[in-house]
Amino acid sequence: MHKTNLYHDKRAQWAVYAIFFGVLALLPVWMGDDPFTLNQYARYGVFGILALSVSLVWGFGGILSLGQGIAFGMAAYGMAATMQMQYQDPVNDPIPSFMLTNELTALPTVWEPFWNTSVGLILSMGIPVLFFTIFGILIFQARLAGAFVAIMTLAMLGAWYNMAYDMQPFTAGFNGISPPSAFKAFGVEVDPYSSMIYWVSLGVLAALTVSTKLLLQSKFGTIIQAIRDDAERARFLGYNVAFYQVVVFALGGLIAALGGMVWVIIVQYVSPTALEIFFSITIVIWAAVGGRMSLFGAIFGAIFINAAQSYVGDEFQATWFIILGTIFIVVVRFLPKGLAGLFEYAISFVPNPLPAPRTSVNSDIAK
Amino acid sequence: MSVHDFWTPFALEPFISALIIGLSLASIWLVAALGLTIIYGTMGVINMAHGEFIMLGAYITWVLQYFLGFPWLLCLPISFVIVAFIGWLVERGLIRHLYDRPLDTLLATWGVSLVFIQSIRLIFGGEPQYIDTPEFLSNVVQIGFLNIPSMRIFIFGMALVLVGLTWALLYKSNFGIQVRSVMQNPQMAASFVINSSRVYGLTFAYGAGLAGISGSMFSGLKTIFPDMGLGYVVEAFLVVVTGGGELFGSLATAGIMGEMFSVFSYFTNDTFARFVLFVLIVIFLRFRPQGIFTPSMARR
Repeated sequence: MHKTNLYHDKRAQWAVYAIFFGVLALLPVWMGDDPFTLNQYARYGVFGILALSVSLVWGFGGILSLGQGIAFGMAAYGMAATMQMQYQDPVNDPIPSFMLTNELTALPTVWEPFWNTSVGLILSMGIPVLFFTIFGILIFQARLAGAFVAIMTLAMLGAWYNMAYDMQPFTAGFNGISPPSAFKAFGVEVDPYSSMIYWVSLGVLAALTVSTKLLLQSKFGTIIQAIRDDAERARFLGYNVAFYQVVVFALGGLIAALGGMVWVIIVQYVSPTALEIFFSITIVIWAAVGGRMSLFGAIFGAIFINAAQSYVGDEFQATWFIILGTIFIVVVRFLPKGLAGLFEYAISFVPNPLPAPRTSVNSDIAK
Repeated sequence: MSVHDFWTPFALEPFISALIIGLSLASIWLVAALGLTIIYGTMGVINMAHGEFIMLGAYITWVLQYFLGFPWLLCLPISFVIVAFIGWLVERGLIRHLYDRPLDTLLATWGVSLVFIQSIRLIFGGEPQYIDTPEFLSNVVQIGFLNIPSMRIFIFGMALVLVGLTWALLYKSNFGIQVRSVMQNPQMAASFVINSSRVYGLTFAYGAGLAGISGSMFSGLKTIFPDMGLGYVVEAFLVVVTGGGELFGSLATAGIMGEMFSVFSYFTNDTFARFVLFVLIVIFLRFRPQGIFTPSMARR
């Protein structure tokens, strides 16, 4: 006897993931392997990664961060620096050209570590996570929540945007950094216009999704959802709420950072737009429309909205944003759980065909 | 870029000008934040569309002047009324349904702002527009070694006038009593025959109207363009949140922030000053999330 909604059945969920990533893996076979299309799809993969980070932090952690762009942007700049230094020659041409036009005569110290690709990768990943950890400790130790966190992350994002814009000798300011050559690691060159870039993007997305899903099914996942639903109650049950919130926040930063790194490999470019407020809130819109309480929903939302946007085309961009804004208002007003919530409701009418899972919970009590 | 280029040494006269600029900046931020303070303070609503109400105020001024030839000063009250009405519609149509979900109002109003920005861009185009201001507001007043644009003095004066009017409305009028009682306890207010839904609607409209009038004023200071609102809204939010959503909290915070920003940017540069200011506010909120004056620990 079981009346569970199929939507909540873990086996069904894993099956959906398997089918989803299976279809994505076969996409180049059906849609052709036109390099520009593959590059486009790889970008969607990054949008999916970003929506995944919002889903984890907001949908499951209950922390509305409007600053996911901080991790994305920092990692993107780190990756761009790494790729730029791969192009530079230590003896003949040690200084990137944009620095020369900004009258720098020596490579800045902060750029030195990026000579080494491994160090560059570690820094691109590590610095955003470190920043999110410190920032998270600052916020969550003070038991700030809700709109406060949203405003503080927004302010922080604004601050970093200004820095990236203004530190022209280090970041090339408004123009941004465009590393001239493709990313090379461990003797392999990742051509951004090849099937390889698609596999990199999809691979990272799939790996992060599966890891996040496993994390959410663990005890840790249960605790962070308990904190989301009622932080005070979780605190009374003896959980260190701030600790869990900081960890979730930092993990969200890590996912967004990985997204930023893959992004720069794909587009070979980074500029302060990565740190724009508009972009970070757009990520939240993707996750909200798809369904923030569902990893799959959020990823689907990101891919769906971006695919629709590129389908509409450039000449109707203004109209498109009006439509997007309206969709977003309608979703927030009527569908707080997004499209995934709608699906959850629809499928609740379908009887669950799967046999009841064997649980070990009761056997403990029976002893 | 050496340390010397980055760090400007102290000199008395430019430093005093910096302090004056700080005051002017503070008045601009205060005007931008005033409507938001009312909306956040009374209803706990984070209105992300506030910057777009400012933008609408500026565009209404431009339309009135460009197409109908209205004098600039007359545009200020008209844009107050029109934007207040738009704000009232937004509250009736959307925000009213989300009072029990404060985070969702933040998101929904972001959607509203997206629609406003793109509609204006679609109707009037994305290029910046200029507005003619009266003769006496376009010159520069000279006091000793200081050169102050008279528009900035006007905005400074208007900021004080608007704060005064808002204070009178909130603390000296019958409507203000209703607002404050709904703010403290909606159920109790309701049992004293106060229609809280109507009070919320009018309060939101008033806050939006203040944004409209500030947009009109800013149109005399800078060019106007569809996403100009984003340039004001983050600072306005910080003023409101740091001020604890209170009128005099916002007044004090805007003053302190304006002066700090101006002094930092005197010694370094604008961008670095903004970065330091934002970081300081984040640290400040960590220790006083209730805001600068508010004694209670209530976190909205």
